[in-house]
Amino acid sequence: MKFPRTSGGFYAWLFQRLTGILLVILLIIHFAITHNFPKGGGVTYAAVAPRLATATWKVFDLTFLVCALFHGLNGVWMVVQDYVHSETAQTWIFYALCTLGLILLVLGAITVIPFKA
Amino acid sequence: MAEYIFRIFRYDPEKDEGTKGRVQEYKIEVEKGWTVLDALNYIKWHVDGSLSYRRACRHGICGSCGMTINGKNTIACEQQVADLGTQVITVEPLRGFRVIKDLIVDMEPFYDKLYAIKPYLITYTPPPTDKERLQSPEDRKLLDGKYECILCACCTSSCPTYWADKEFLGPNALMKAARFVLDSRDEGWEERVNAIDDKHGVWRCHTIFNCVEACPKELNATRAIVELRRLMLKGRL
Repeated sequence: MKFPRTSGGFYAWLFQRLTGILLVILLIIHFAITHNFPKGGGVTYAAVAPRLATATWKVFDLTFLVCALFHGLNGVWMVVQDYVHSETAQTWIFYALCTLGLILLVLGAITVIPFKA
Repeated sequence: MAEYIFRIFRYDPEKDEGTKGRVQEYKIEVEKGWTVLDALNYIKWHVDGSLSYRRACRHGICGSCGMTINGKNTIACEQQVADLGTQVITVEPLRGFRVIKDLIVDMEPFYDKLYAIKPYLITYTPPPTDKERLQSPEDRKLLDGKYECILCACCTSSCPTYWADKEFLGPNALMKAARFVLDSRDEGWEERVNAIDDKHGVWRCHTIFNCVEACPKELNATRAIVELRRLMLKGRL
């Protein structure tokens, strides 16, 4: 069975699922380490800042950010595809969502990457 | 005998055009063992001959009498009145389709989606001389839960994604597509893929499961859609 053409939604569907799974894993790690779940407490600048300044944690947070942005905005895009019937409006909204995603990605990145404890 | 009130959606294109239709009540005595179709027949033959609905086999095979009964899609000939558990029964045409008259809806968009996936065996290699195209019992088993569809449209009509996107192939056409794609004798993938692998095709389903709940034959269209997706995933990775 050959799969000759590019998808009409294959990659959006695939990455929605992959980012969904990743988000659950990342959230568990985030709560376990940052929020000391299930005991709780310890979310102070002194406790959190040195960790946020490490390269590992920066990569973790950026992955978190990319997954959350893709998952959330792709979800909105799916709703838009269902309920906005004008092709022109859909195109505008698509680019608006891409721009929003890019802005939020840059905002997140400039918060995470240069952080020093 | 027990008395039931049937609240039936009525729409006469000559009188009700431009309106959303109306509801008419019929109070009738229902005999033990009657289905909703029996009750509709009684109303049509003895109370109000103007009531319109589709019916044919009365045995859950033709799929003609798909309608919404007490808010749930099913075929009227398989729905026992007593099993509904209410004395007031609401009967409406299938949602998501244009009403032609009373409980009769325009099924053309439904059939158009079905034709789009080419719902017939496509082969290019000739069959063994004077023989059938045989299947192993294992290959045949893959089609269970897919081939039994009677085209009543209860699934597609219950699908919120179809309500929102009338171009969506819908659970019925996608399940039919799976039925042929998974058939070991079929060679028509290339001809079907354009319709299936489309933004109005297999990726549009939001796995809401309404189709599974609605199917009077207890088929699982959502599972068939997932099987199609899995095939595409395996084919690409």
